[in-house]
Amino acid sequence: MAAESKGCKGLFDEVIDAGLCTLCGACTGRCPYLAYYQGRIALLDNCTRIDEAQCYDYCPRTHIDMNAISQKIFGVQYSDGEIGNTKEVLIARSTDANITEKAQYGGVVTTLLSLALDEGFIEGAILTKTSDGKTPSPFLAQAVNDILQCAGSSYMACPVLERYNQIPEDNSDKLGIVAMPCQVLAVAKMKANPPANRASIDNIRLVIGLFCTWALSPQNFYQFLKENLDLSEVKKFDIPPPPANRFDIFTASSKTSFPLEKIRKFTMPTCAYCLDMTSEFADISVGSVEDIEGWNTVIVRTKIGAELMEMAKKKGKLQIDKLPSASLAHLKEASLLKKKRALNEIIKRSGDRNNLIYVGLSTKLAEKILE
Amino acid sequence: MANIEIDAPGTSQLFIGNEAIARGALEAGIGFAAAYPGTPSSEILGSLAQIAKKMNIYAEWSINEKVAMEAAAGASYAGIRSLAAMKQNGINVVSDFLANLVMSGTGKGGLVLVSCDDPSAISSSNEQDTRPIAKWLDIPLVEPGDFQEAKDMTKWLFDLAEELGTLCMLRSVTRIAHARGNVKLGELPNKQQKAYFEQIHDLKNVMPTRYIPIPSPVRHLFLHAKMDKALEKFESSLFNRYIGPDRADLLIITCGSCWLYSQDAIEALKLRDRVGILKLGTLWPLPEKFVMEHLNKSDKVLFVEEIDPFLERSVMELGGSFPPKAIRPTFYGKRSGHINAYGELNPDMVIKAVSTILGLTYKARDADYGKKAEAVAKSNVPERSMTFCAGCPHRATFWSIKNALKLDGHDGVVTGDIGCYSMALGPAGFFQVRTMHCMGAGVGVANGLGKLGQFGFNQPVLAVVGDSTFYHATIPALINGIYNQSNFILIILDNSATAMTGFQPHPGTGMTAMGEPTKVISMEALCRSLGARVEVCDPFDLNNTTAILLEMMAEGGGAKVAIMRRQCELVRAKKEKPPYKVRVDAERCIGEACGCDRLCTRIFLCPGLIWDKKTGKSKVDEVICNGCGVCVDVCPQGAIIKEAA
Repeated sequence: MAAESKGCKGLFDEVIDAGLCTLCGACTGRCPYLAYYQGRIALLDNCTRIDEAQCYDYCPRTHIDMNAISQKIFGVQYSDGEIGNTKEVLIARSTDANITEKAQYGGVVTTLLSLALDEGFIEGAILTKTSDGKTPSPFLAQAVNDILQCAGSSYMACPVLERYNQIPEDNSDKLGIVAMPCQVLAVAKMKANPPANRASIDNIRLVIGLFCTWALSPQNFYQFLKENLDLSEVKKFDIPPPPANRFDIFTASSKTSFPLEKIRKFTMPTCAYCLDMTSEFADISVGSVEDIEGWNTVIVRTKIGAELMEMAKKKGKLQIDKLPSASLAHLKEASLLKKKRALNEIIKRSGDRNNLIYVGLSTKLAEKILE
Repeated sequence: MANIEIDAPGTSQLFIGNEAIARGALEAGIGFAAAYPGTPSSEILGSLAQIAKKMNIYAEWSINEKVAMEAAAGASYAGIRSLAAMKQNGINVVSDFLANLVMSGTGKGGLVLVSCDDPSAISSSNEQDTRPIAKWLDIPLVEPGDFQEAKDMTKWLFDLAEELGTLCMLRSVTRIAHARGNVKLGELPNKQQKAYFEQIHDLKNVMPTRYIPIPSPVRHLFLHAKMDKALEKFESSLFNRYIGPDRADLLIITCGSCWLYSQDAIEALKLRDRVGILKLGTLWPLPEKFVMEHLNKSDKVLFVEEIDPFLERSVMELGGSFPPKAIRPTFYGKRSGHINAYGELNPDMVIKAVSTILGLTYKARDADYGKKAEAVAKSNVPERSMTFCAGCPHRATFWSIKNALKLDGHDGVVTGDIGCYSMALGPAGFFQVRTMHCMGAGVGVANGLGKLGQFGFNQPVLAVVGDSTFYHATIPALINGIYNQSNFILIILDNSATAMTGFQPHPGTGMTAMGEPTKVISMEALCRSLGARVEVCDPFDLNNTTAILLEMMAEGGGAKVAIMRRQCELVRAKKEKPPYKVRVDAERCIGEACGCDRLCTRIFLCPGLIWDKKTGKSKVDEVICNGCGVCVDVCPQGAIIKEAA
């Protein structure tokens, strides 16, 4: 059942002014009243749609009926497992050295996108680009070379969905998108209840979700980076799997490391209220693997995801294996921990065990997570 | 404008008051005229400039009123009859010079100042009566009561000014300045004028002629002697007259346009036999004897004058010198509440006051009558709000200012100034302007705001001024800001015209009042020479303008200048065809739906765009649209299409 819609006043009251905005970009790019600028959503003028508006509807921090969304994406009720609905949990790495050099860990995301583009499965991909010493910005890649330019994670929030909203309504290019869990959630909300006056959400054929424990506030972190190094030289960021507890920044010639604690103060406050570590509503979710360097964990969730993985295997683009059971257990433990922490934070905020703010979970499942 | 130079003595011409004043100056043999445009005064210099070459006189639009007055004084010192004209605000600008000029005296050429007041501030930032400056600074003051007087008084005032050797002032109001009436013409002089600054300096006269205000007490004494002489003239002036019975139930004392209102009121009430009107044309020094002669005509006296109780208070002061047993009339006017001390007057208001005082049952028209009449008149006219013209670059500029301030998110403050862009305090400029006073004041205010960092102030400060205002009064404030490192951005809305007052040229236009090409004073070269960072933007490029403003705000550190350069749309449209044909693609327009919510006709509000209630779509009004194409970039749906026209 669709949640009660409210207008942009609701968006500001419940999300933006409440400090819960994830900067996903679902509300910007098309609406002339809302704009993303330097880590903020600005209201440029008064919108009279105070009862009903899409900015409110697709926000990943307004009410989400997990079962309804799950029904829409997977055709089943929301999974009570730790990492959501899955078909297979694998490890994989690219067979292309050009990709693995630049990409995060096994280069699976870059490889899958390049393949999907080459095979005409998609005609473009909405990605995050970090370049020219600027904060990351959304980018529509339409060639393999464009995709390579976007390889690697910045760990900073970026309004990726703004780029989708900007696509002309009459454009029917099939697209892929690489998104953080909050952004994947917004896409899922759009798929469950398609937006009006925008390019069709069905054009997004492939959603690759990233694993995420938290994202950094682009403005604050950018300021910190600027004070510590020459941003135009930065090639890659990395948070090696535990127990490294480091944030590494690579330039062409050197590596600078900061203790993770020092970086954590730049995390977006809203991340504390996020239950999703593994992008549970994606077609394929990709992250690192504990203890296995140079590989990615890959969770295949949908038929399309499975088809693409199969194609990558057949074409020899990816080397694929089963995720060892110990690693799977670690992954599930970490994912459940995020859910538990988030629910506790939400309850702390609402002051009521039955008020999970934006999270539409059954009481039974919520209680199970909190156990 | 009328042909004020027509050489047909004895014939009548239809002139607005300002043209009548200009004609009077011509008949007086004026050689030099200078002014800064300001409603309702602008047509005085405008009509003189038009015929200046033909009539072999000089006319200029000066950079501001102070310079205009000073330049006119310079001409007077060289023996040329000269005139300076301005609106009420100009009197404030020029007042420091006036206070010294009255002491130094004028030259051999008579010097006249015309001040046009704007009761109700119809085209002004403020309502102000300038008559008190005559009393304050000892300036002989006259005020015409009709169009003929406007001409005749001006001519006469030059003779008087020359005879007295002091500045004389003529005050007019909007309803004289801009209303039209018959004026019987006099002769135009036909003599060559020779300018020479005489410096009598010989064995007998050790001290050369000097125009200086010192030694002050002596000069002040001289000035009072001149005022005494003016009083003598005023006592017998035919511009002062009485109409009515020898003994009246009520005496009205009035001047200026109120003379007309008073006559109308007495006519309407059929009280010609009971009420007398004492019409004064020479207001200061007050012709005391003349007034006293008529004061005993009635034991009730009503003062009818616009804005300040100038005559009222002056006559009441006179009452202090009445003999002890004299009969004292009861005074009615602003002090008693019978006449408003603000806004324009009209015959109805006079009727009401007279009826109340005399206990008549005449009912003035219902106060709602005006509103009702307006409603009837409006019923056939589409409703139009006070806004910028279609295609006006200011709308685009304020759109970018609004968006830049919202994106920046530090609650930036816009200080405003005087010009078309003053309207930006309302919907025309998206309610962006927060302060507005006199010309140049916005930049002065910005200077103060921009120095408050030590008190935790971090709101960006943007001061908007027009191009003419920039030259008029902004430059010292900008220099102050640069020198004292105040943190603000001066935004010059350069539409290359003094648009609000009628497109008079200014130092940035490269054209003189008399239509001759001249050197352009480049505002960017000037600002750069002061060491300010200067950016020149095309306001129609919304993205670039917004980006530059954001970047300048983020940079901080001292005064900066952003010039928004686009010609006034009215000037452009006179010369060329619209650049684009603009239309709305009804298929793409989503109207009130989410994602637009009528942005173009609800927020952007260009009068070239109209909302079609029936279809729920926007439309371009082809008659109004000037084809600037800015709305194409405002529409979130890409539904507004422009094609090269």
